[in-house]
Amino acid sequence: MIFSELYSAYYNTVANVLKAAVDHPLQKGELRSIIEKNAFGESVLNIEPALVEGRWPLIRPDGRAAIGHTPTLPLTNLQKSWLKAIRLDPRIRLFGEELPDYPDVQPLFRPEDILVFDRYADGDPYEEEAYIRTFRLILYAIRNRCPLSVSAVNRKGGRMFRRLMPDYLEYSEKDDKFRLIGSGCRYGGTVNLGRIETCELYTKPFEIRSEEQPQPEIRKVVFELIDRRNALERVLLHFAHFEKQAEKLEDDRYRVAIFYDRDDETEMVIRILSFGPMVRVVSPQRFVELIKERLIGQKSCGQ
Amino acid sequence: MAYSELIKNFNRIRDYMREFYIYGFKSRDGFTKKSARSYDDERRRAESWLGDYMRFRQTPEGKTVFLSIDSRVSRHNPLYTAWKTKSFTDGDITLHFLLFDILCTPDVALSLNEITERLDEALRLFQSPRLFDESTVRKKLKEYVSEGIVTAEKRGKGVYYRRAASSAFCDADLLDFFSEVAPCGVIGSFLLDKLGAHDEVFAFKHHYITGALDSEILCALFAAMREKRYVTLETLNRRRDRTLEDRVLPLRVMISVQNGRQYLMAYTPRFRRIASFRTDSILSVKPDGESRDFDFFREKLDGMLPHMWGVSTQGTSGQRMEHVEFTVHYADDETYIHRRLEREKRCGTVKRLDDNTSRFSADVFDASEVVPWIRTFICRITDISFSDPKLEAQFKSDVEEMYRLYGLEGGERE
Repeated sequence: MIFSELYSAYYNTVANVLKAAVDHPLQKGELRSIIEKNAFGESVLNIEPALVEGRWPLIRPDGRAAIGHTPTLPLTNLQKSWLKAIRLDPRIRLFGEELPDYPDVQPLFRPEDILVFDRYADGDPYEEEAYIRTFRLILYAIRNRCPLSVSAVNRKGGRMFRRLMPDYLEYSEKDDKFRLIGSGCRYGGTVNLGRIETCELYTKPFEIRSEEQPQPEIRKVVFELIDRRNALERVLLHFAHFEKQAEKLEDDRYRVAIFYDRDDETEMVIRILSFGPMVRVVSPQRFVELIKERLIGQKSCGQ
Repeated sequence: MAYSELIKNFNRIRDYMREFYIYGFKSRDGFTKKSARSYDDERRRAESWLGDYMRFRQTPEGKTVFLSIDSRVSRHNPLYTAWKTKSFTDGDITLHFLLFDILCTPDVALSLNEITERLDEALRLFQSPRLFDESTVRKKLKEYVSEGIVTAEKRGKGVYYRRAASSAFCDADLLDFFSEVAPCGVIGSFLLDKLGAHDEVFAFKHHYITGALDSEILCALFAAMREKRYVTLETLNRRRDRTLEDRVLPLRVMISVQNGRQYLMAYTPRFRRIASFRTDSILSVKPDGESRDFDFFREKLDGMLPHMWGVSTQGTSGQRMEHVEFTVHYADDETYIHRRLEREKRCGTVKRLDDNTSRFSADVFDASEVVPWIRTFICRITDISFSDPKLEAQFKSDVEEMYRLYGLEGGERE
């Protein structure tokens, strides 16, 4: 069972309370601060009195734990079977960690039990040794704040060089690709891992100037949609991963505002076009013009 | 019943979380299906669990509540929180921590009687404590044996219990990644909770998070596939607002990374065909008898995949197979369009006709599923045809309607 108190925020919070109370008698305010850090907004109203009043007799009146050992829990069958399932995922090799076999459980699912049917076909080569080496080096560099010197093939087939401080890796499930996002690089700090030819730690002094920190430029597009052919649900699900606002205008008409990164504008244009006449962009005018350009282009194709 | 931050039944909150996150425009009155009090309770819970993501807006219909999450910024799926809210009794939590303190290592093996005595001893420290009888302790131990965290071993007439051996824990990076991209990733999130705070190195783009709410349904479907077993699905038809029951043989879970929907592909004896069921419409999964035909139907599904653009196995034209093809023209500096066709097509073929022209064609069960993708090439489609004339007419009239929407009808630029 996934929905079990064993995995609940309350059990985890009480485990953290007990961990502290096994170590030392809880100080005034310490109980509350552990609860606030680990549980939900209103949890303190439940957990604190339950422990203090002895409804959960786990903390003695003097603040010491009623147990003698720091609370720990073995992995459940569910956890082991999930780990056993991801062990079968080809991307597991990127991490260089050999997961145990967990012989007492079956994998929760096998690769043949699932199919991602609309992922792009040119995903990263997760099983190539050179790719794996680069991935692990980047992970190491992010963890240890080491600058990197990277050469890669750009979109037009030319070669590009970057010296950057790696900040994090961004993975797109649709593209099935990783991108390295870094800072301190004058020409943009984003490099597709699949395009990297060489990647090395940069050992000379490296300084990040504040103006070179990547700052995403968030833009907003507003469109109206008419709920025909289940468009409302399709549109809102499709754009669900963005920050957005939706409001109802009339019975079957809605207005939706989506906030997106400027770099993804072309992608936004074609994603909106995919909904055909169910969606009409109303602002900004610049975005309206982008849609109109495409439609004018289509008219000239004669279809 | 008095309000509680925790819940007993996950299905109660599943629909509300979906409404708050996907739609987010309904006011209190808009939640007509449930009582106003139920709405108040669920809204308060969501606020308590996901306070940082809750937003409010005042509209003429009243205050609307919605969850606003940019999944590219949020490093972990906030909806996993809902799975960490199961209610329990005072006895459950007390027993839990005392039991695992008594069974502090796998070397300690104790009988039920010995465990109960030690529990009494631990509780004696408190004034008028609640003591646990043997049957309550036995029941809890049995539950933990089935979860795999306690083992029971028969010695003579007695049963001895011990904590299960601890397994090595995994790397946080690995869990950070797979908890977001693997099915039932919430289980990875449970493991991360044990690791505590750490710097996260992954962010996710095009990351759909609502599938998290169907995790338990998925688990039950995977179990059925593992056991090659029929199940009875209870599904909700949202449009007609009614529930249905269907006996089906689960074959595969199909996942979309372009809209976040998850589907079960299953053989349905009632219609004698393989059909799809959206997992967010499945309310419950009850295991039924084993099937000897599982491998046969899965192979059949494999054979159908080259003709499935999405999950539909039947179009509306009445033809078993529908044909679709379209041609695109691009400029000399737009040869990436051909690569786009190759990369994004899920079935069918792409042929390069000359340096500036490519054609896609496919025979699929349901050509209407291809239409949204074709529209993304608007501005360069020079030719298009569907074997279903109605679908072709609709595609063309939709494009005409788009011209009208943007004031481009009649060939005049606005």
